[in-house]
Amino acid sequence: MPSVILDFYPTKPQTTFPHPFAEAHSKLTDRFVGTSGDYAHITDIFSIATTPTQILSASGGSCIKVHSTASPDIPLEQTIKGAHKLGCHHIVTSRNGRVAASAGFGGEVKIWHISEETSQWAEAGKIVDQNKAGEVWAIALSEDGQFLASTTYDGRINVWDLAGGKIREYETKGSFGLCIDISRDGKYTASGHENGGVYIFNNDMGKLLYSLPGLVKPVRTIAFSPAGTRLAAAGDARVIALYDVSHGEQVANLTGHTAWIFSVDWSDTGEYLLSGSFDGKAKVWSIDRRACVANHSETDKALWCVKWLPKTGRSEMFATAGANQSISFYREATGG
Amino acid sequence: MDYRPPPPPSGRAGLQPGFGLPEDLLSHLPNRELTYNGYTGTWSKLDHPVSLCSTPPPGFTFQKSKSAADSCNQPGAVISRIEDVFEAMTDCIIGEKNELVIQLKSRSRTKPQADDSGATAAKKQSNLELRAITFPSRSPQEAWKFTALLRILELCHEALVTGTVTTKRDIYYRDPELFMKQAVVDRYVNDLAYTLGVQRDALNVVAAAKGLVVGPFTITKNDNSVVDYGLEHEVRLFPVPLTIDYGLMGSGCATFRTLAASEYWMRSITGPGIIITAKGYPDIQTRQFLHLLFIQKLDIPIYALVDFDPDGIGIMSTYKHGSMALAHESANLSTPSIKWLGVRSSDFLQTSSDVQGLLKLSARDRRVATKMLEKGIFKEDGSEVEWRRELQVMLMLNVKAEIQILGNAEKLGEWLDRNLLEGSRSI
Repeated sequence: MPSVILDFYPTKPQTTFPHPFAEAHSKLTDRFVGTSGDYAHITDIFSIATTPTQILSASGGSCIKVHSTASPDIPLEQTIKGAHKLGCHHIVTSRNGRVAASAGFGGEVKIWHISEETSQWAEAGKIVDQNKAGEVWAIALSEDGQFLASTTYDGRINVWDLAGGKIREYETKGSFGLCIDISRDGKYTASGHENGGVYIFNNDMGKLLYSLPGLVKPVRTIAFSPAGTRLAAAGDARVIALYDVSHGEQVANLTGHTAWIFSVDWSDTGEYLLSGSFDGKAKVWSIDRRACVANHSETDKALWCVKWLPKTGRSEMFATAGANQSISFYREATGG
Repeated sequence: MDYRPPPPPSGRAGLQPGFGLPEDLLSHLPNRELTYNGYTGTWSKLDHPVSLCSTPPPGFTFQKSKSAADSCNQPGAVISRIEDVFEAMTDCIIGEKNELVIQLKSRSRTKPQADDSGATAAKKQSNLELRAITFPSRSPQEAWKFTALLRILELCHEALVTGTVTTKRDIYYRDPELFMKQAVVDRYVNDLAYTLGVQRDALNVVAAAKGLVVGPFTITKNDNSVVDYGLEHEVRLFPVPLTIDYGLMGSGCATFRTLAASEYWMRSITGPGIIITAKGYPDIQTRQFLHLLFIQKLDIPIYALVDFDPDGIGIMSTYKHGSMALAHESANLSTPSIKWLGVRSSDFLQTSSDVQGLLKLSARDRRVATKMLEKGIFKEDGSEVEWRRELQVMLMLNVKAEIQILGNAEKLGEWLDRNLLEGSRSI
């Protein structure tokens, strides 16, 4: 029997930081804002990514925002203007926090490096592969930021060495690759597809390892556990499927969401899984107990992305972002 | 308020309620006003009718392929060519000659065979008839032909001079007894265009309008006559004192027929309305009609109900802001007051049960959506923030949905009631 019952609650009575976070991605006004062009219309936050000290967010607007998670009021540290003119749907970071990659609605992928002196991000390159719109969709970075994996509209999976070029190209059955992840050790790439298919590829050997019994409906999010032993996949089927990477069998089904699931993320220890869905619900699941241990529904707007913050203090924190145009932070209630 | 229910369907078999936007009704916009008066119960002309002809250059919509200079000059050139014909006749009359003549170039009725190019060319030449139609003539047939041609010339001239667009169908209905049947007009219009050496469009004559409209309204012409479209154009007229509470434009023909058949426009919780469709991307006449509604009746809210796909938003954008290609000429065709009623992603994703009828975006859909995101109004600092958002969400989800996803006639009616009510509150 579990001796500690975990409870996650918002870090503040309100889920969203009224400032300066509200300012970060909140709707400023319904009109043009000035002529300086630093903010235009602010829309949904489609994706967030974390480093040990920062959170990067990408939205329907053209800029990427960087906030510091090192101080409690989470100040805005940098705005990368004009990163993706048509908006940005995916942003990812390497685990070491040095490299970021972002994919825009125009089909372009940009690589960003952080300067150790100034702590400012700067563009370090682009992935160019005759990218047409939708050609590159979901992206993932390896732990050291050397490799980037991407999906395409027609179901191909590409792996790039950011120092070299494309090193792997996997074919699947041609169904839109909606999500992708690379295991921490860089050994595996996993992709989730619109037709419900889930694939695990062995990067060392460059071949398909498992074609997993999928979820029939579109798989919109996929994530390796920190140890690389488990794979979580979820989407329109409203359940989270857990697979064992070593033999490719499904080992659990986490049920409870009543809307499409857009995002899942493992806690640093692999004990908990975080999930967010279209109806604005965020859930924390205990992997041991195979049960939902925390349920948050502070918004009824879609949560496009949920992420644990790298563990720095005693307690775990996570962030959610989506159609309500702001990022909300939650802290684990410890000592319970 | 008290209004008469719509009259029972006409006895004519197969006649459906509604339909047939305005070939006749739109072709001479400056001559007509859309009017109603809900308080006095009378239908009257506006005191200050807004004329469309003052702004667009005649024929401005039909010169897309030509250079700007051409498009400015051509209507004038065509007018003077027609007037040359009239002048020649006047000369004949003044000169007391015995007959009036129209030299008509007529194309062959038989299609040239494509198998032998040389022979085809020769045949083409021989099939090209140049005939003089004279009046008076011993043959009553020729006299009739002369009259018909002259009448068509006159109507084309009128259209060109007033800067309006007419349809072949409209020409026929201007004088059905003379023309006898539609095919006569079709042929003679083409022959006249050929004779004058211009495209038919240059005469400001287009094929029948594709728009459909239903609702309690009448069109009053300049001469105060109310044309009974109900009989001739399958547009039912309701000379009933009603206020029109909203206009609803939809992208789908099927949806229009559903709503028309269920007479939603009479039964709506928000009151009577007008329902319009152009069966897809709107043609100029349908846009003109909506624009007319907009400029004459500013108090009527106009809603758009379109599919949740890039084309649906594109259609709405064409109504509201004009076509992308002719953006600078769209001021007289656009209806900036349009509000988006649906379908949005939230309309079908907020239910926890599975929705039937969701479709995947095609590669073309994704390309179209991405292209749209690059264009002015969809840009980050553009005017249509919500459209941009929904296009992005469409791409994120990779799904689209037709209006039908909202339900069948009854469910659609309920949905409309709910959303129109919400819309009317937010005004």
